[in-house]
Amino acid sequence: MRYVQGNKMTAFILVIAAFLLLLPFVYESRNLFILLTQIFVFAIFAMSYDLLIGFTGIVSFGHAMFFGIGAYSMGIFMKKFEPTLTYFFLAVLSTIVLTALVSFIVGLLTLRLKSHFYAMLTLSLSGLFLVLAEKWRTMTYGNDGFTFRVPEFFIDRTHFYWLCLCIMVAAFLFLKRFTNSPLGRVLQAIRENEQRTESLGFQVLHYKIAASVVAGVLAGIAGILYAISLRFVNTSVFSMDITLDALLMTIIGGVGTLVGAIIGAGLIEFAHDWLTELAKEHVIFERWIIFFGIIYILVVMFFPKGIVGTFGTITSKRKKQPAVKRKEKVAG
Amino acid sequence: MDLIINLTLNGLATGMLIFLLAAGLTLIFGLMDVLNFAHGGLFAWGAYSGLWIYQQTGSFIIGIAGAIMTGFVLGILTEKWIIRPVYGNHVQQILITLGLMLVLSEMLKVIWGPNQLTASPPEYLKGSWELGGVIIIKYRIFIILVGLFIFAAVQYILKKTKIGLVVRAGVMNKEMVQALGINIQKVFMYVFMIGAGMAALGGVLLGPYSGVIHAGMGMEFAILAFIVVVIGGMGNFKGSVLAAILVGLSGSFMAYYVPDLSLAVNMLLMAIVLIIRPQGLFSEGGVSK
Repeated sequence: MRYVQGNKMTAFILVIAAFLLLLPFVYESRNLFILLTQIFVFAIFAMSYDLLIGFTGIVSFGHAMFFGIGAYSMGIFMKKFEPTLTYFFLAVLSTIVLTALVSFIVGLLTLRLKSHFYAMLTLSLSGLFLVLAEKWRTMTYGNDGFTFRVPEFFIDRTHFYWLCLCIMVAAFLFLKRFTNSPLGRVLQAIRENEQRTESLGFQVLHYKIAASVVAGVLAGIAGILYAISLRFVNTSVFSMDITLDALLMTIIGGVGTLVGAIIGAGLIEFAHDWLTELAKEHVIFERWIIFFGIIYILVVMFFPKGIVGTFGTITSKRKKQPAVKRKEKVAG
Repeated sequence: MDLIINLTLNGLATGMLIFLLAAGLTLIFGLMDVLNFAHGGLFAWGAYSGLWIYQQTGSFIIGIAGAIMTGFVLGILTEKWIIRPVYGNHVQQILITLGLMLVLSEMLKVIWGPNQLTASPPEYLKGSWELGGVIIIKYRIFIILVGLFIFAAVQYILKKTKIGLVVRAGVMNKEMVQALGINIQKVFMYVFMIGAGMAALGGVLLGPYSGVIHAGMGMEFAILAFIVVVIGGMGNFKGSVLAAILVGLSGSFMAYYVPDLSLAVNMLLMAIVLIIRPQGLFSEGGVSK
């Protein structure tokens, strides 16, 4: 039953993706497409975060560092060398290598310990990357960041929109497949009960590191797309706010569902856009993040499964309910 | 010589501020098994509320007392509303305390505005002494003395009083303490309250020391405090003071000689400790997985 439902969900997603794919032909709005591109980029980022928090039960507070590594390596390659496709692929390659390396080392250091250590080490390590980006002026131009030109292919916004959409769908399908693979099953077993998984003979540490490397590389790819979409990169890509965005999107959307991460990304980016408009009316909306902070706390406390999870439980309950109700009527 | 003494005092003062933050973290972790990511938020709240009261009343002492009271109140509320509902679930605790951190620092910006505020020490703590050609800034000595006093007081409570005995027993084995008929929930609340109060005290002392306060400083200091907690050993109170001094000193010397590497050195220290002694440099027990 669950399997069928999962397939339905995937089909639903693919229908929406097809709709979004055709949208530029029938509707023209520069702002909307920029916003949608942003949503796709953050959806990739949030899904990579979901792999850690939702499927493996690892909490990272420094996911921004992989995002930032991606954004900066793209920026630096485009700025220091020619903005051609060759250097684009070199930047992608170096991002993959760097993010894999960093996530591997961090995982090796802390994943054998309690979950607190990973959260703490990633938090402080991303702080270190932020400082590095500020201080290494010859490479990163410090706090102000720098603009750069992008390869010709990406200049057209619609092309880039399609590219981001395709990568998002690809990332979704890949993660769907990945989490349903034997390896993904072991990851979910670790989330449910680490000791039991270990006593069944699985090398828990290896699986956790594998998850963190995959999540790190995907986050790096999201960072690359983010940098290209802005054609600008500064130290804010390493800031805590980026990690918090991923956290809010995943938690509010629903952990361990992947779809939740996409919905969360859409919700938060749309709300961000809308509330920034409202900020002109009243100053309290400038602090829009506070609303999300409160919603986030309430979700963690009362709906730990997020929007998608809670909705799923309600619908599956409703399917079972009629039988129960009939019985009650008889009794009444 | 002059330089070395000043750098040492500077490092000690920073170390004491970090200690005030890390001590609460490590006690709460040791007793309740909760790593409070909102601790930096309490620190920043102490700084803002203390400075505000200080400016309103004109008395630094009342400002400090007000900051500590703010810390106590926020600590009790946090424990009651945020920590208790998710007690025992690590992932949820980590997530929810980070959410609280977010709300706390945004609230600061709502109340006091997003810009940084300036703070200066009161008249009697301004200026410096000159001892044999060495200039010693009064306020640094003040911070070091306050830090040592708090350390001594908490150490006394932990070692010599009944409640301290309960806390130490709770760190070792909560269930056993509860089985002996002690309301550990109440002890949790007190420890959380004291920890939050110490963080708030650290915050209010930082204001005049660094000259400016801003909402983001909670997170900055929290990162240093986490490094201290790892180096000192999670749940190890005495270790936290030694580690805080170590981090403070290395930070101040590095900031002078190789300014770009000051955070990197502390991070490196933490990474080394995680590799060779994950239970902490100053801890005797084994590591809890």
